[in-house]
Amino acid sequence: MGSLRVTVHNSATRNRFAAVAAATALVLGLTSACGSSGGSNSGTMHVLVYGDAANKVEKQIVDTFNKTSKVKAVLDTIPGADYQQKLNTIINTPQAPDIFFNWGGGSIAPFAKKNLLLPLDDMIAKDPGLKSNFLPSVFNTAVVDGKSYGVPMRGTQPVLLFNNKKVLASAGLSVPRTWDDLINDVKVLKAKGLTPIALGGGDQWPSLMWFEYVFDRVAGPDLFQKALAGDKSAWAGPDSQKALGMLKQLIDAGAFGGSFDSVKYTDGGSPALLAKGKAAFELMGSWEYSTQQSNNPDFAKNDLGYSAFPTVSGGKGDPKDVVGNTNNFYSVVKKTRHPDAVAAFLKLMYSDEFVKAQLGIGNLPTTTNTANFLSTSASPDYSQFQFDLVKAAPSFQLSWDQAYPPAAATPLHTAVQKFFDGKSDANGFIQAMQSLSNS
Amino acid sequence: MSSLSLAAVSGRRVKARRAGVGVTRPGFAWAIPATLFFLLFAILPLALVAVLSFTSWDGVTAPHFNGLANWTKLIHDPVMTQSIWLTLVLTVLGIVTQTPISILLGVWAAGPQRNRAVLSAIFFVPLLLSATAVSVLWRALLDPNFGIPGQLPSLFGNGNLLGSQAGSIAVLTFVGMWQFTPLHALLYQGGARAVPQVLYQAAAIDGAGTVRQFFHITLPQLRNTMITSMILMVVGGLTTFDTVLILTQGGPGTDTTVSAYYMYEQGFKEYDFGAGSAIALVLVVVATLISLAVVRLSGYDKMRSTAEGI
Amino acid sequence: MRQRPNYLAGLGSLIWLALVGLPLYVLLIATLRTTSNYSSQGPLSFPSQLTLSNYFNAFSNGFGQDFLNTLIVTVSVVGIVLVVVPPLAYAIVRAQGRTITVVFRFFLLGLAIPAQAVIVPMFYVISQAGLYDHLIGVILPTAAFSLPVCTLVLTGAMRDITPDLYEAMAMDGASPRRVFRQLVLPLSKGGLSSIVVFSALQAWNGFLFPLILTQSDSTKVITLGLYNFQTEHGVDVPGLLSAVVLSMLPIFVVYLFARRALVQGLMGVGGK
Repeated sequence: MGSLRVTVHNSATRNRFAAVAAATALVLGLTSACGSSGGSNSGTMHVLVYGDAANKVEKQIVDTFNKTSKVKAVLDTIPGADYQQKLNTIINTPQAPDIFFNWGGGSIAPFAKKNLLLPLDDMIAKDPGLKSNFLPSVFNTAVVDGKSYGVPMRGTQPVLLFNNKKVLASAGLSVPRTWDDLINDVKVLKAKGLTPIALGGGDQWPSLMWFEYVFDRVAGPDLFQKALAGDKSAWAGPDSQKALGMLKQLIDAGAFGGSFDSVKYTDGGSPALLAKGKAAFELMGSWEYSTQQSNNPDFAKNDLGYSAFPTVSGGKGDPKDVVGNTNNFYSVVKKTRHPDAVAAFLKLMYSDEFVKAQLGIGNLPTTTNTANFLSTSASPDYSQFQFDLVKAAPSFQLSWDQAYPPAAATPLHTAVQKFFDGKSDANGFIQAMQSLSNS
Repeated sequence: MSSLSLAAVSGRRVKARRAGVGVTRPGFAWAIPATLFFLLFAILPLALVAVLSFTSWDGVTAPHFNGLANWTKLIHDPVMTQSIWLTLVLTVLGIVTQTPISILLGVWAAGPQRNRAVLSAIFFVPLLLSATAVSVLWRALLDPNFGIPGQLPSLFGNGNLLGSQAGSIAVLTFVGMWQFTPLHALLYQGGARAVPQVLYQAAAIDGAGTVRQFFHITLPQLRNTMITSMILMVVGGLTTFDTVLILTQGGPGTDTTVSAYYMYEQGFKEYDFGAGSAIALVLVVVATLISLAVVRLSGYDKMRSTAEGI
Repeated sequence: MRQRPNYLAGLGSLIWLALVGLPLYVLLIATLRTTSNYSSQGPLSFPSQLTLSNYFNAFSNGFGQDFLNTLIVTVSVVGIVLVVVPPLAYAIVRAQGRTITVVFRFFLLGLAIPAQAVIVPMFYVISQAGLYDHLIGVILPTAAFSLPVCTLVLTGAMRDITPDLYEAMAMDGASPRRVFRQLVLPLSKGGLSSIVVFSALQAWNGFLFPLILTQSDSTKVITLGLYNFQTEHGVDVPGLLSAVVLSMLPIFVVYLFARRALVQGLMGVGGK
C-alpha cells in the first residue's frame, strides 16, 4: 500500500497525474497489500500543521529542508476549526504524521501519557541547541511529566487588545488603560451606533479570551492553576464571582453588539468588522496581525492599533501578566521512521532564516536570537511591543482550552457561549467549569 | 425513492405470470458480489456500531468494554434528551413548512401551459446544489454584517439569526425548506399528473370551481404521494447533519444540537466514540422501525414472491 | 382539461419564485464582483464593475484538484454500482429460493440505515484497512450506501420484462448469462440510467464520508473544499460562492441535456 499512497500535496500538474494514477490503481483493486504503514518507505516524512495565513513560512522552511535532506518533508495542512479533532483521529493510525503542530500543555499531554510521542530528550542531548536556543518559559509549555515533547515552531501569541485607530480617533477616544476606560469607551462607541468590540462568538474561543484576561487581572494566575490541578472549589470563590460580574457588566453594556453569535473569527468575519470600521476593538491573539496583513493589507499597515489588556483596580493579578499561547510546537510521533531527519528538521526552528521569516509575517519567535532581528520585522514596532510585553510578563497563562485536555474543549466552549448569551449565570458557568475533566 | 417505486411497481404485479418450466434461471451466485460488498461496507460497520456502544473508546488507544456505561450516561444526559426533542421539532417543522408549498408547486407545475416549463426549470435549481453548497450559500447570505440582513436591517433587526434558539431553528427550517421543497414538488407533480382528467371534467360539469376541485379531487388523489413524501421527510429529518454542522455547529450553546450532530460531537470532538456509537444505534433503530413499518404497510417485500408465483 | 387557472397554486409558485430567485441572483452576482465591493456595497446591490477573477482564483486555490478528485470518486462509484447491481437485480427478479428473498429484504432494510449512523465504525474500518485519506476509502462506503436504492430502482425496471420474452430466449437454449446480456440489460436501460444518475449524485454531493475519512489537499473533494473554504475564508463570499457555482455546473449540464434521467435519479437521492 505504501507505494500507492497519494503523497502529493500540491496542485502542480505532475502531481495531479500522480494522484490520478494512484487513485486509478487503487480503484482497479491493486490494494491487496494494504496494511503496511503509509508514506515512510518512500523517503518522505509528513509534517502536519494548522492551516492558516502563517503556512507560508512553514512551506518555506520545508522547502529549505528539502534542498539538503534525502528524506523529503511533505507539509500537510488542516484548516483551523478541525485541526485538533483530525489530529486525534489519526495520531494512532498508520496515517499519523511524523511531526505535528500543537499548543503544548493539554493538547499533547493525553498523547504523551498514552506513549504515542517521542520524548525529545535524546535529541537534545545530542544537540543541546534544540533546548538552549529557546526561551525556557516557552519551551516548558511542551514538557509533560519532566520530558520534553515539543520544539517551538511559530511565534509567541500573547492576546492583545487590537483597535481601529481611525474609528477611535473619530470618536475622540484613546486606547483604554483601565477597565473603567474600556467601559466608558464602549458607551461612547455604542452611542455612535458602532459595535464597540468585534467578537467572533460563533467560534466560541474568542469569547474565552475575555474570561482568561479578566480572571487573571482579578484573581491572578493561581486561581486557574489550582482549578487545573484539580481543586474545583477555586471556581466558586469571591474572585471568580467578581470576574464573572465584570464580564456580565461588559456584555450587558452591549460591548459586543447583538450579533456576535453569528460572527466568526476563523472565516475572517470579526477581523473584517474591525478592518472596515464597523467595530473599534477586537481582543485577539497576536496572529490578528498576519490575518489582517493577508486579508486587509492597507488596514494592517496604517490603522491597526494594539495595546495590552486594561488593568483592573484592586485586582490581585499583575497588570503585566499576559494570556495566550506561549507558542506552537512541533511534536514527533514515536512511530516515525526518520528520527534523524526529524532532528535535522527541528534544528531549523532556531535558524536565522526561520526567525526572519516569522518576523516577516508579524509572528514573534521565542528563540534567544530573536532580539537581534526585531528590526527586520514586517512591523518592527509591533514586534518590539510584543517582545517587551512577553519578556516583562511575570505570568504567561496558556489559553484555557489548550491547558485542559482536548476532550474538555467542547464543554468549556459551550459554557463560555452560554454565559455570553445570558443563558447561564455566574453559578451556571462555575458549575460547568467544575464538571470539566482535567485528565 | 423507496416507497415511490413501491407505488409505481405495485401496479405491475399482474403482468408477471408463472414462467415456463424449461426456463434457465440465474443462480444465487449472481447476487454474491453485491451482497458481499454491502456486507463489508454497510452491515459490518453497522454491527460494529452496536459493539462499540458498549465500549469506551477515545479513538487513540484500543476500545475496551465498559458495559452499559455509555447508555446510563446518555439516559441522564440532558443534552441527549434535548437533542431528541430538537430532532423531532425540526422534522415536524420540515413537514409543516414543506408540504403545503410543495403540493401547490407540484400541482401548478403539473399543469399544461408552456411557460411553466421555463419557470419550473428555475424553481428546481436548488435541487442541483449539494447540501453542503446550500448550507454554505445560506451561511454567507445570512451573515449579520456582510449578508442580506446587514443590508435590510428593517427586516432582520441586528441580524443575529443564529444567536438564539428560535432564530437558529427558523434558519435550519428555512434552509431545509429551500433545499427540499423542489424534490417534494416533483413528487407531487408526478402524482398530480396521474390524477385522471375524467374526475375534473365531471366536477367541471357539476359546476365545481378550481378551489373546490383542488380540495375535493386533487388533494384526496394525492394521498399516496403525500405518504411517500412524508416518509422521506421523516427519514431526512432524523438524520439532519450537514446543515447543522455548517450553519450552527449545534449552537448557540447546545440549542440546535440534534441527535445526528450530537453523535458527531461526542465522537469526533469529545473523543468519546463509545457514547457516539450509542447515539448512532438509537438513530439506526428508529430509522429501521420506520422503514419496517413502511415495508409492512406497503407489502412490498412480498411482491417478489407474488410476481414470481412462488 | 381544467378550464380555469389554479390561483392558489399560482400564488404559491410566485412566492417560491421570489424565494429561489433572490438567492440565485445574489449567488450569481456575488461571484462576478470583488470581495471588497461585496462587503461594502452589500449582497443585493448590482455591482458597478463585473469581474471573472473569482473563478480564476478558485482554480488557483486548488479547485481543479478538488474537481478531479470528485470526478475520480464519482466515476469509480458509478463503476462499482454498474458492476454489482445489475447481476444482483437480475438474480432478485429471476432466481428461485428463499436465500434470494432474504437478500432482497436485507437490501430493503439497508434503505433505512442513515450513513451518519455508521461513521464512527466506518472510520475504524477504513483506518484499520489503511485506506484513511485515500480516495478509495471514500469510494467504497459511498458505493455501498448507494446499493439499496439502486437495487430497488433496477429490480423495479427489470420486473417490467415479461415472462414471454424469457421463455422465448429459453427455447433458443440461452444461458442465464446470455439472457442477461441480450435481454435483461437492453430492456432495462431506463433503470440503468436512473441508477447511474443516482449513484453519481450521491458521490458528487457526498460530504460526510470525505469529511471523516480524508484530510489532505490531495484527496479533497469539492464539497469538502467548500466546507474548508467556508471555515477558513468565509468572509470572502465571492470566492466561496464561485466555488459553489462551479460545483453545480456539471449537474446543471446534465439537467439541461438529460432532465428526465436526472429527475429520476434525484428522487432516489431524496429516498436516502
